[in-house]
Amino acid sequence: MTPLASSPSVPLVQTVGLTKTYGHGEAAVTALDHVAVSIAHGEFVAVMGPSGCGKSTLLHLIGGLDRPTSGSVMLDGTDTSTLDDTRLTELRRRKLGFVFQFFNLLPVLSAVDNAALPLILDGHPPDRARAAAGDWLRRLGMGERLTHRPSQLSGGQQQRVALARALCAEPRLILADEPTGNLDTRAADEIAGLLRDVAGPSGRAVLMVTHDPRLAAYADRIVFLKDGKVVDETRLGGDHETQIRETREKVAAL
Amino acid sequence: MPPTRGPLGALNAARFQFALGARYLLGRPLRSSLTTLAVIFGVAVFFSLSLLTPAMSEAYRQNLLMSTGQVDLSVSHVSGASFAPSNVDTVRGTPGVAHATGMLRRNALLPSGTGGAPATVNALSIVGVDPATAYAVRSYALTAGRLLADSDADAALLPSRLAEKLGLSVGDTLILPSAAGTARLRVVGLLNAPPTVGAEDVYLPLGAAQRIFDAPGQINAVEAVFATSTDRSTVAAAVQNRLGSAYRLGELESGGEMQTAIQAGQAIYGVFGFMALLMGSFIIHNTFRTVVAERRHDFGMLRAVGASRRTILGMTLAESVTQGLVGTAIGLVLGYLMAAGMIAGLGAITEQFMRAHAVLPSPTVGSLASALLLGVGITVAGALLPAFAATRVTPMEALRPTPESTAARAARWSAIAGAALLAFAALGLVSRQAGLASLGAVFVLVGLVLVAPAVVRPVATLFGRLLELAFAREGQIAQGNLARQPDRAAITASTMMVGLAIGVALLSTITSLVAGFSGYLDRSFGARYLLMPASILLGGGNVGAGPELARRLRETPGVGTVTSLRHALADAVAPGGAAAGASAAQFQLIGIDPQTFPLLSGLIFSQGDPGQAYAAVGRERALIMNSVLALQLRARPGDTVTLRSAEGERSYRVVGVGLDYLNAKLATGYVSHANLAADFHATTDLLLMADPAPGADPSAVRRAIERVAADYPAFSLVDSSTFKDSQIALFRTIQYAMYALLVAVTLPGLIGMINTLAINVIERTREIGTLRAVGMTRTQVRRMILGESLLLAALGTALGILAGIWLGYVLVLGVSAIGYGGGGMLSYELPWAGALVAIAIGLLVGVVAALIPARQAARLPIVAALRYE
Repeated sequence: MTPLASSPSVPLVQTVGLTKTYGHGEAAVTALDHVAVSIAHGEFVAVMGPSGCGKSTLLHLIGGLDRPTSGSVMLDGTDTSTLDDTRLTELRRRKLGFVFQFFNLLPVLSAVDNAALPLILDGHPPDRARAAAGDWLRRLGMGERLTHRPSQLSGGQQQRVALARALCAEPRLILADEPTGNLDTRAADEIAGLLRDVAGPSGRAVLMVTHDPRLAAYADRIVFLKDGKVVDETRLGGDHETQIRETREKVAAL
Repeated sequence: MPPTRGPLGALNAARFQFALGARYLLGRPLRSSLTTLAVIFGVAVFFSLSLLTPAMSEAYRQNLLMSTGQVDLSVSHVSGASFAPSNVDTVRGTPGVAHATGMLRRNALLPSGTGGAPATVNALSIVGVDPATAYAVRSYALTAGRLLADSDADAALLPSRLAEKLGLSVGDTLILPSAAGTARLRVVGLLNAPPTVGAEDVYLPLGAAQRIFDAPGQINAVEAVFATSTDRSTVAAAVQNRLGSAYRLGELESGGEMQTAIQAGQAIYGVFGFMALLMGSFIIHNTFRTVVAERRHDFGMLRAVGASRRTILGMTLAESVTQGLVGTAIGLVLGYLMAAGMIAGLGAITEQFMRAHAVLPSPTVGSLASALLLGVGITVAGALLPAFAATRVTPMEALRPTPESTAARAARWSAIAGAALLAFAALGLVSRQAGLASLGAVFVLVGLVLVAPAVVRPVATLFGRLLELAFAREGQIAQGNLARQPDRAAITASTMMVGLAIGVALLSTITSLVAGFSGYLDRSFGARYLLMPASILLGGGNVGAGPELARRLRETPGVGTVTSLRHALADAVAPGGAAAGASAAQFQLIGIDPQTFPLLSGLIFSQGDPGQAYAAVGRERALIMNSVLALQLRARPGDTVTLRSAEGERSYRVVGVGLDYLNAKLATGYVSHANLAADFHATTDLLLMADPAPGADPSAVRRAIERVAADYPAFSLVDSSTFKDSQIALFRTIQYAMYALLVAVTLPGLIGMINTLAINVIERTREIGTLRAVGMTRTQVRRMILGESLLLAALGTALGILAGIWLGYVLVLGVSAIGYGGGGMLSYELPWAGALVAIAIGLLVGVVAALIPARQAARLPIVAALRYE
């Protein structure tokens, strides 16, 4: 396991003037407009906002899936805009983990092979990769279903596999894009709880995009986006129910 | 607005369907163009064939027409043999005939260098005419000099175009090969246009022509013009009646070998075209299955908002029709260009051998229509099943995620049916019956296509192990991806299989034939020295030598045994005499000397005892058949066959079946020189073979023979070992041509693979996005697609080689059955080199097919791919 690369006083993620524009001229749409966000080591940050506010775009830019129109993303001391595609891919593989709304598992691979993908792609010996993936699956309560195919798993179970895939390379940051959007309430709570649990220990941070105040309330901090700009930010404390209520009010205010 | 009903409504619906189809097609330019390519390829092959066939036939017809021209009637013997001039009187005496003339017309090959002839002219017709009667039948327009006169002995009349090519003018000497060596003729006149179209005719007095061909007192054609105001058919019938059924009204038979070659070429080309279309329909089927699967949501939604099943069917079919039309249009242009290219390439050959000009005809309405029908037809046929599947999509499907394909049960049934077909085919092979085996050959292909889906997974696993050695990280995913759509993988692999199978089968047949023929070559050319004519086909226009050459050869010091072959055309009367005069078969007769022939050459007997057979040939009217003729006449040793000659009908006893190398492909009978001269008027030697006497100095003997041969420019002296080497080299060339064909037939397979891989990439866009997101580099994406491509190619290649070896074995069995085996079975040669080449091609196709789809997959923008549905 990599020890912390930089001192905890320097944030894990720091965006500077992050702007993303789609289209040109008259048809240009600004999805993100000079956004400055930082995520500390071990922090669980939720991003909320109405549809089209730029939540997913922010996540994609921080995750290096897309390139900003202007501005930059500093990730664990690296300016990601200076990296070529291969370097960026390797950075994703080693420092980032992704969880998607639609799970996006490969139907041809078993649960453990799916979870082991980032390690296998990184050239780790398949046995060791599978062992690490199996450990994570067991920790996420999937020990009984290691060899199942995605089609044999429920939505919640599939998302746990996706979470194990995101975690097995021991990344610094987990990026979750509406991870519970396709799950029922109970499964959604379980996944959010798991994300809560994986943030913090050994400095691993989580950035989750959601529109559900109940799930956002699991986070340490909520960033509110509207029309591509950060309009509010709130640090949560106190009991869960109070947090949910407060978050609901903020969302309603937007 | 009220709904529009009736024809206008239907038109509106069709417009909507076509507009939607066009949008869908344009939305996937790569896939659309690849699928269209399959149509283009098939149509191009077929259309060029439909243009070439009439072009070649027309050239052939011209070649036949040459001898008829503007005359009303032309008479020849059914066998093509020469006959006595008394028939001219018979024709002339028929009421209604105004003039008649006899002629001796034969093709002749000019040895290079004769009479200073440049290499541009090497074939012409020598026409012996009777000056007393000829000018009344045909008109000869002079540009210089004079016509032939009765008193002329060695004079010649040539078309000025030919004279120009030969560099001759009036008063010069034309040297032609002749039975006596050479004939020197004085050019007395030049003709404006040749009296017959397209011919390079040289007109000589009849006597001179008869001396050249050593056919004293013989003619082989009578031409006549009718009196005006007579009923042509009545006169023709009267002439036929007087001459009897042994004579034919119409043209002289010539160029028969060329026609056989054209037909064989057309057959091969036709098989190739059919295969291309079959592969094309596989590819189209694959594409449309994917199209329908991909649009389940769209169809469900359309059904939900009120589209009828017919509308859905119409939409899919409209798309296929659009694609078919575009593909056909491009295919027509390409086909025309292909045909034009081939005519240009073959033009030289038709000019040389048929002295006819092949011209690319303008496409007829019929050929255009059938190409259109075929192109659009196969596209619609390929799309039909998927289109019906589309109509079964329920509105509910719009709301559900795409289901995983559940084709397992259908795959099991098709595997069982395929296995049954393969088992039957295997039985056919074991039975060694050519008929059963060839039926089995069809079953093999169909059976393998049916079994293919079931073997995709095991084969993918097997070759996947190999692949993982190369790309450990991506190999496993590639393997899983392929096994996911076994049907699609199977159809794609089948496309490649069909091509490779045909290629490998042809190669193995050729390899086996070459091996067999080299044996015949050694037997047939056992003599040390050969005096060869210009054309290796003995009946191909060679001017033979009179007996003088053989005699001089025998008297040459140091020369041991000498033997010669002669040639004539014969015609067998159908046995039983039921249809009186009906001709059962035309074939060539080869004259041999039964004493010397077995010493220097000899036949490979499959029936009958060689010693007794040769003795019988020397003693009586006896005939040895080669197996092609035996098959044609359905005759066996002991039977009697009736041959028709200018001397009337003659009965020959069949005494054996055997073949020689030169005539193995043509229906041939072997008789003695004496019988050939008596019954068929053929007295000239076309091929002479000699051995040195024991103890003679070979180089001295060679020089002595060369001196004798110098007087006969139609012949060249060749060491038999040199000749054999040149024949082996020819076989090699054919084999190389087959390798080229092997590459060509894999082309549709390549298109199919690119298509399938591109479909796979499109279908798995989101998965590729995920893989990229979790850390797959572009290089790794490319390797994954390459892995899939290689596995697909491995499957196709493995099946193709298997089927190819099977088909090849059946072909060899068939070739043996029609007699090339010398009675037994040709030994089947496993085409090792062919299999290696097929594997190499398979690998290459695997790599090439992956190029575009891999690039496409690697370039997918991750965010868009993740959102892709």
